[in-house]
Amino acid sequence: MKDLHFILLLLRKEFLLEFRTRSAISGIFLYVISTLFVVYETFVKIQPNVWNTLFWIILLFVAVNAMVKSFVQEKGNRVLYYYSLLNPSHVFIAKIVYNTLLLLVLSLLIWGLFIFFGDNPVKDMGLFLLILFLGSFGFSVTFTFLASLVAASNQSSTLLAVLSFPLIIPIILMLVKISAHALRLIQDTAVSGDLAILVAIDLLLCGVALLLFPFIWRD
Amino acid sequence: MIEKGKIWKFSGVILIVYVIIAGLLIPLKSGIESVEPSYGNAGETLKIQVIGYNTHFKEAGNSLRAWLKWENGKAIAATEMVALDERRMNLTFSIPNNLPENTEVQAVTLLIDSETDGTAVLPSAIFLTQTEKVLAAEEVPWVKPEDFSNNGQITFPFRNILGETIRNTYFHVPLWFGMMFLFLFAVIHSIKYLRKGDAESDLKAEAYTQTGIFYGLLGLITGALWAKNTWGAYWSWDIKQNMTVVALLIYAAYFILRASFEDPEKRARVCAAYGIFAFSTLIPLIYVIPRLTDSLHPGSGGNPAFGSQDLDNTMRMVFYPAVIGFTLFGFWLSSLQFRYLRLQKLREDLD
Repeated sequence: MKDLHFILLLLRKEFLLEFRTRSAISGIFLYVISTLFVVYETFVKIQPNVWNTLFWIILLFVAVNAMVKSFVQEKGNRVLYYYSLLNPSHVFIAKIVYNTLLLLVLSLLIWGLFIFFGDNPVKDMGLFLLILFLGSFGFSVTFTFLASLVAASNQSSTLLAVLSFPLIIPIILMLVKISAHALRLIQDTAVSGDLAILVAIDLLLCGVALLLFPFIWRD
Repeated sequence: MIEKGKIWKFSGVILIVYVIIAGLLIPLKSGIESVEPSYGNAGETLKIQVIGYNTHFKEAGNSLRAWLKWENGKAIAATEMVALDERRMNLTFSIPNNLPENTEVQAVTLLIDSETDGTAVLPSAIFLTQTEKVLAAEEVPWVKPEDFSNNGQITFPFRNILGETIRNTYFHVPLWFGMMFLFLFAVIHSIKYLRKGDAESDLKAEAYTQTGIFYGLLGLITGALWAKNTWGAYWSWDIKQNMTVVALLIYAAYFILRASFEDPEKRARVCAAYGIFAFSTLIPLIYVIPRLTDSLHPGSGGNPAFGSQDLDNTMRMVFYPAVIGFTLFGFWLSSLQFRYLRLQKLREDLD
């Protein structure tokens, strides 16, 4: 109960910080719109199979840009303060929950803009929403954890891309495969099995990251 | 006398030497390379020319026997056999008027047996067509191929597409096994570092990761050469090829991460965490995802799994020592690399 209390407090702090500055959400919002403009100006008409790949790649880049800041603000005296006060697992869970929600909102935004500028090739809305959530969660776990490593190294954001893109491939392959099913590009009877594998990968990474984060946080 | 701690290193080297000698010198079993023509019709007298591999048709002389065998077990013997030289032979079969199966085109297996070479088999060697439904009935001399000769030689199996490249099984596959063991030990040392904070564990993890990548690259190169000879291209965008490149990229990023830290204590901690996280993504990457898609590799997409189909007992006698030998050798390489890293660190501390 006490754990939940701390996590909710930290989550509230994340939302408050974001709400005060609105820097992340507005920057990413512009990023999404300009990317989509470039995409539609260059492609003109997007076939469903291209749409499928493009959607997830845009979401991937949006995620990197949104997550890289996760731990940048947690520097200096404030970290020392948090460190003396908080359990690292609480910090990490709050970050993951916040980033998952942020990515879910962003992915819905991308999807909405895709529909606004073009059309909507998604046939199975329920399945697509489900994998938007699972994808946001997987991205959020991987990028949040790696962002914490990168933040410890005082390096630029390219390091995050170098570290994360190969690691995200299992997740993104599963996402593209299942979403091809949601777009009715392929007829696959094993979609529930694929979903189970995606959930398993998400949970595996989340568990490992949760175990390792306390060692990174100890500074 | 050899010191006790060195026995495993010597056994690794001895096993690898054994694998190289046995793996490269044991000949392939005789086989049938091709048959010309590879089709015929019901009721005709079919003359075919067989090209064998590692065969001794002339030497075999009277002990030569040949059959065409249908899937339901029925077979006919060759009516005439003329050996042109050791590798080429003309065979004549009188194909029955009514083929024993119900389909229009039926694939038959060619078997050739002799005392010098043992038995050679070519599945789906000839496709026979039943043009008209029923020709005049006749008495077909069905036989059952049996009393196969055994020439008692130690050989590796002959597989048509693989040919001599079957020997790569003792290098390509054990290198992957070795790589996984090395990465596993890197993870174990990373965990040790996070628990105990011993600087040597960090260096060991780095050394194991380096040799693991080295083994991975060798596995990739041997695989690409093998692919060129059997699939026709060095790179076929096969899912397993792609996933192993991704795996190597993940570990290459490990060294970029290492290079971006000044403080050794912080570097060790962060890299240990990354190493463990990276290893946990290897499991879906190498063991789960390739199984979901079609692959040219054995074990997926309808290809037989790596098992009794691919390894016979002679191959096992070389394959298992190869796995153990390459793994032990990898550990030796890692321990040398570890000592080098430790000396390097010592010098940095002195400067």
